[in-house]
Amino acid sequence: MTASHPSRLLIVDDEMQIRRLLRVALEAENYEVHEATTGQLGLSEAAGVHPDGVVLDLGLPDLDGREVLRRLREWSQVPVLVLTVRDGEEDKIAALDAGADDYLTKPFSRRELLARLRAVLRRTQPSSEETIVRFSDVEIDFAARIVRRAGAEVKLTAKEYDLLRYLAQHRGRVVTHQQILRELWGANAEDSTHYLRVYMTHLRQKLEPNPRAPKFLQTESGVGYRLVES
Amino acid sequence: MADPRPALDTPPAPPSGWEEYALSVLVIVVVTAASLILPDSYYLSVGLIYLLAIILLCLRVGRGPVLLAGVLGAFAWEYIFIPPHFSFAINSLQDGLLFGTYFVVSLVVGQLTAQIRAQAQNDRLREQRATALLHLTRALAEAKTLDDAVRAAVRQTDELFSAQTSLALADENRAALIPHFANSYSLEGKERATAEWVFRHQSNAGRFTDTPQASAGCYLPLVRDNKTIGVLGVKVPPDLTLTLAQQNLLEAFARQLALSVEREHLRAASEREKLLAESEKLHRALFDSVSHELRTPLAIINASADSLAGADQNLRGQLVNELRTAVRRLNRLVGNLLNQSRLESGTLKPRLDWCDAGDIANAAVESTRDALAGHPLAIAVPEDMPPVRADFTLTEYVLANLLLNAANHTPAATPVFLTAGLEPGGQRMFFTVADRGPGFSPAMRGRLFKKFIQDDGTRTAGLGLGLSIVRGFIVAQGGEVVAGENPGGGAMITVYLPHPPLKAAAQA
Repeated sequence: MTASHPSRLLIVDDEMQIRRLLRVALEAENYEVHEATTGQLGLSEAAGVHPDGVVLDLGLPDLDGREVLRRLREWSQVPVLVLTVRDGEEDKIAALDAGADDYLTKPFSRRELLARLRAVLRRTQPSSEETIVRFSDVEIDFAARIVRRAGAEVKLTAKEYDLLRYLAQHRGRVVTHQQILRELWGANAEDSTHYLRVYMTHLRQKLEPNPRAPKFLQTESGVGYRLVES
Repeated sequence: MADPRPALDTPPAPPSGWEEYALSVLVIVVVTAASLILPDSYYLSVGLIYLLAIILLCLRVGRGPVLLAGVLGAFAWEYIFIPPHFSFAINSLQDGLLFGTYFVVSLVVGQLTAQIRAQAQNDRLREQRATALLHLTRALAEAKTLDDAVRAAVRQTDELFSAQTSLALADENRAALIPHFANSYSLEGKERATAEWVFRHQSNAGRFTDTPQASAGCYLPLVRDNKTIGVLGVKVPPDLTLTLAQQNLLEAFARQLALSVEREHLRAASEREKLLAESEKLHRALFDSVSHELRTPLAIINASADSLAGADQNLRGQLVNELRTAVRRLNRLVGNLLNQSRLESGTLKPRLDWCDAGDIANAAVESTRDALAGHPLAIAVPEDMPPVRADFTLTEYVLANLLLNAANHTPAATPVFLTAGLEPGGQRMFFTVADRGPGFSPAMRGRLFKKFIQDDGTRTAGLGLGLSIVRGFIVAQGGEVVAGENPGGGAMITVYLPHPPLKAAAQA
């Protein structure tokens, strides 16, 4: 995707060293990098350069990162990857609720950064009506509502299929428990995480090589799930 | 302390009631009637019978009734029995001597009785006083805190003087009086003014004292080393009074209380000093180990970065690995410090949700994979394990810390076991982390979960915060941590979490 036209990225972080390292890592992948040091500057820069994606640090000197997100979301749907220093899941969930697409906890590796960025950028890229998603030896055919593993069809219940489809549509990105529950069970089901656990266990047993140590249907501690492609 | 209406130090025996006089008259009447059946010539014996009756009466009645019985008996005897009958005349000298002797004996007996009774009464009061003081002393000695002591003292004085008691203690600068909360009446208005006066003048004031004031209570200073450290106030109901003995007792109480207050002050001071020394020590330990734990990985990062410049491909890979390990170690250390302060600040609120126990175990193993390298890891989670109610992140952190401990404190290549399951009965679920290392020394067992504690003699990675955080996180979720022996050798730590039935938990 970066081959045809370079994606324009905006980094909003007050730490010079982080910005520099991010620039090195991202420019090596042919991204076009813009920088801002404060929330205010970040917002005006976002309006000015119209980036394809934003990397936003939550701990900014002037505005709370979530406030920046809220103001940005008033007029823009640009994909946002949030950087946080906190382990606590409350911050991550709050950022996701405020409109972030995904998060990375500092310290993070280059590999993680690039994988997350690719996944969040894909949200706005014109996908040619993808009807088939593959990971590992699993193939999901959205049009036919069929899941195959190593070529053989896997029987899934309706809920299991819906859960898998939702994760596959957001593959590479985190989806919170609440998002899944709202999507699959409706607005009143947000306390039913118990069922979600059970369906996820079933899905893993049917699709994972080792269901006890899942490689693809991953758990995000205290936040939700993430379908990892490789 | 002098009463405006001075009382005897030895209080008189209580006055005899009309019942005692009636009893005396009755006895004499009965003896007289009974003696009438004896032959006339027995009149001398009748005199002895009267005397016997009077002596027996002494055992029951006071001086007045005894004297009355003596006089009545004398007249009855003389009039009825001594010849000539029914006249007050006495015929012989012998009869006269007998009658006189009888009269004197009965008077003396009456007097003696009174003295003995007064003595007994006095003894009883003295004993009461000694018992009261003993009770107070014991209550004060047993009291663990000053508040307990004051409560005990107030209760004792309330009981003993059927009064209300109030105590005010000087503040640290001895500038102001602070009434104690356990008081049985509040020090306000005139009472407060009198107490303040007593505090300033170090002398008794109020009712029963030489310095009567407008207050209803009487106030005594608590004095130690010539300093007033408080004021004891006693409010006796207006219709009651305090005898001199009771006033003495009250003063003894005040002395005892002053002693106790002073002791408490001294104890508090030494406690403060001990605490200060302790925190100094802790600070020192924290400082030492934090600087060691922070500086070591920093030194590694620094050295690796230096060497990277001229390194060949092979060495470069090694150095990068060193860098990564150092960074992970620093990251964990910072995490531990932050979590410890989260625990200590009391801001930790577990977010309980349904979790897959296997998921938690996996996440913990994933985050400690580098440290566990070289240790064969056996994970056992039952296939049919139902979702458990836990805070995912906290529990993951707990398991990661336990796994790290197991890896750091056991010889290379020894296995580590991570097990999950439901307790028989299904009330609780558990995670167990066990190893085949040296286990815990008995001395270590009790201190395991304290901060900054490391198994003696071994300097391994970490601040000694791990288990303290483990316990904090588990207790916050309503669980329990138990350290024990792994059957077959090694250490084993089990964390228990409540496993509520699905419905109850969903409603909660």
